[in-house]
Amino acid sequence: MTAKGLRYVLRRLALAIPTILTIVVLNFALVHLAPGDAADVLAGEAGSATPQYMAQLRQKFGLDQPLSVQLAVYLKQVVTFDLGYSFRHGMSVSELIATRLGPTLLLMLTVLALSVGFGVLLGAIAARNLNRWRDNAISVLAVLAYATPVFWAGLMLIVVFSVKLGWFPVSGMEEVAAFKEGWARVADIARHLVLPAITLTLFYLALYTRLMRASVLDQYAMDYVVTARAKGLTERQIAWRHVFRNAVLPVLTMAGVQIGALLGGSVVVETVFAWPGLGFLAYESLFARDINLLLGIFFVSGCLVVSVNVLIDLAYSLLDPRIELR
Amino acid sequence: MNRLVSGFVLALLSVVLPNIGHAQQAAPQRGGTLVMVVQPEPPTLASYQSTSGPIGQVAAKVYEGLLEYDFDLKPIPGLAKSWTVSPDGKTITFKLQEGVKFHDGQPFTSADVQFTVLEVLKKIHPRGINTFRAVESIDTPDPLTVVFHLSEPAPYMLMALSGYESPMLPKHIFGTGDINNHPNANKPIGTGPFKFVEWQKGQYMRFDRNPDYWKKGRPYLDRIVARFIADGSTRAATLETQEAQIAGFNAILPLDVKRLQSLPHIAITTKGYEMQSPIVELDFNTQKKPFDNVKVRQAIAYAIDRKFIIDNIWFGFGKPATGPISSNFKATGIYTADVRNYNVPNGVDMANKLLDEAGYKRGADGTRFEIIHDVTPYGEEWRRFGEYVQQQLAKLGIKVSLRYEDVPTWLRRVYTNYDYELTNNWIQTLADPVIGVHRLYHSKSIKQGTVFVNGTRWSSPETDKLMDDATVETDPKKRAAFYHEFQKKIVEASPIVFVLELDFVTVYNKKLQGWLVSPLGLYSSFDQAWLEK
Repeated sequence: MTAKGLRYVLRRLALAIPTILTIVVLNFALVHLAPGDAADVLAGEAGSATPQYMAQLRQKFGLDQPLSVQLAVYLKQVVTFDLGYSFRHGMSVSELIATRLGPTLLLMLTVLALSVGFGVLLGAIAARNLNRWRDNAISVLAVLAYATPVFWAGLMLIVVFSVKLGWFPVSGMEEVAAFKEGWARVADIARHLVLPAITLTLFYLALYTRLMRASVLDQYAMDYVVTARAKGLTERQIAWRHVFRNAVLPVLTMAGVQIGALLGGSVVVETVFAWPGLGFLAYESLFARDINLLLGIFFVSGCLVVSVNVLIDLAYSLLDPRIELR
Repeated sequence: MNRLVSGFVLALLSVVLPNIGHAQQAAPQRGGTLVMVVQPEPPTLASYQSTSGPIGQVAAKVYEGLLEYDFDLKPIPGLAKSWTVSPDGKTITFKLQEGVKFHDGQPFTSADVQFTVLEVLKKIHPRGINTFRAVESIDTPDPLTVVFHLSEPAPYMLMALSGYESPMLPKHIFGTGDINNHPNANKPIGTGPFKFVEWQKGQYMRFDRNPDYWKKGRPYLDRIVARFIADGSTRAATLETQEAQIAGFNAILPLDVKRLQSLPHIAITTKGYEMQSPIVELDFNTQKKPFDNVKVRQAIAYAIDRKFIIDNIWFGFGKPATGPISSNFKATGIYTADVRNYNVPNGVDMANKLLDEAGYKRGADGTRFEIIHDVTPYGEEWRRFGEYVQQQLAKLGIKVSLRYEDVPTWLRRVYTNYDYELTNNWIQTLADPVIGVHRLYHSKSIKQGTVFVNGTRWSSPETDKLMDDATVETDPKKRAAFYHEFQKKIVEASPIVFVLELDFVTVYNKKLQGWLVSPLGLYSSFDQAWLEK
């Protein structure tokens, strides 16, 4: 990377620090607006409790302290990259998030690669066959996939491919009765990945397809296409070297925005396929008022979004050298 | 016709009765991995500290208790080989099994029992604080003898010594460090038939066979894996495809049960929950108008059609409840059905009459008064139940609006702020009324901020005395008499509408045998469970 590029990245990262601290404080205030606390939930789940037990829990969780003290304690921890302890899980928050981050990244990067890849391809095909049967077929399928509720699509895939055909496992990330190792384990995880990845891809694919199609059509209307034709380039050369490269930029912007959301996990797909991701963990921790864990997930997602944004900006300048890093 | 009826009865029996007889006939086969679906994922494995439902299903494979129980709710030997209660009921002596070892190889002795009860269960177990409150001291004359000294007789204590309710911990592990936040909380070491191996949060827990288990030749299974799947339909699909072999505590939703039941490899049962005995209720705020009036409370109790609710909302898995104590206690003589019967055909008329008498006449538009009905946030069926109550009370001229909130908000509202009028709810009445029932009606159980205690804030000196007397009464007949009187008084005062005794459903693969050996069901150790090859 050039010195200019490096300076840019460092400056962006420095600017990110106050942003993330603001996020932490806002989140802290927000989650404390919800009535009830972790002690209520734990005792509620237990189905029985005594006052001593409830007091013990609150003391243990630090819930007997004033809110301002709790915030100060939390901020002090975050600054030292200590995300605290989840009393509900009896584990440190960073450890909990680390165990979920791997599966989340695996699923989401697969989904991202598939949906952007196929989306760009299908969008380009549709645009080049404007208003002919290929275009119509792709557009109809895209809208259909986008309009289908994710949980329903997931369940239908399970019914067809797991229950009826028996090709793929119903749920989970690996075969738990066998505990495979080495390459067998990799293959096993891949097999478990297929259905959840397809389910989510179907949803995002539509978006990228539509976006790419519109973007390609826009580019074809540009003057430089006329120039290219005038100087005698073949349609193929125009499409691949000029139009598609320019048309991909808006898709990339979209992917940049979505990658943030994707990294937060997908509650629906994780629920349906019992995929051990961050989304369901966050969802659970909200209803359990597991404040430390929830804030920890927010913090990690916040950091990821900020760094992904920097990466996307860098990618712009690679794809389109006219864009300068400032 | 007769043949048709008997055929139907047989079919019904084969559905209702589990394969216990079958399991005893066939010789158990060794080996295999049992995959059980546990819903939801337990928050922790510290069953000595939290009684959260799913914990027991996994922790009871690792930790054992002094006693086990038979289907008549009578104690049978567990880690204690035998026990004797002194005539005054204040001294209980346990003789422990010989040759019992913890999973780390250390022997299980009387010191472990002493430590577990006095230092752990009596101090930090949510129910143990009550169960063992009468225990003053515990003597350990030799490694295999434990003597409990009680301040007063405590007959209920013998009902609470299972591995699920009162797990025995190794003193040499849990005796050091902070018991509230112990490093071994999620790495349990017990005496049970299965050893804890790992817990992949969000995915599964793995337990492997304990080869040195003290019951020779057991367990039969090589491994138990508990899986956590948040989606109900997916859980059903794992049983359908035989990826998992058992799921209980309604982990398979009633709707899916009906479908799975028709598959040749699936069986269902409602047995194995006799020490839980959940009752579905409507709780009144008895210190607030209009439900401070006993006639209004009785009116609501009359207006509810229990049969309709069971058939349409709980898919037939339940039976009408008559009072605060579940009919599962019939075997012990404590239960009585001889109470005011609200389950009558002309309930709505009775209710209208009572409301008139109470002075809540219909207004010009036919409305007597308006209330907000809170719906307990534990699943869809509670919403349906709330909607039913809304419709049914409309017939009485009571305008009901429903309020849905999440668990912590609802708990705060009902048990801390008392900011409600009528809420639906469910309570497990557990292994003995002292443990499961007193908390809902005793004056001393009106404890602001503590959940699932007396949130209706109804109490009377009479019922307080009956409960106090029953607590220390060692003669089963006299004890039963106290409880019969108690049930009459409570049902008459109607601080709670007793709607139905909920049947939990366990769905399991027919290849799985020998798992249902006690009223603890899924909360037992599975040392006799085996898989047909």
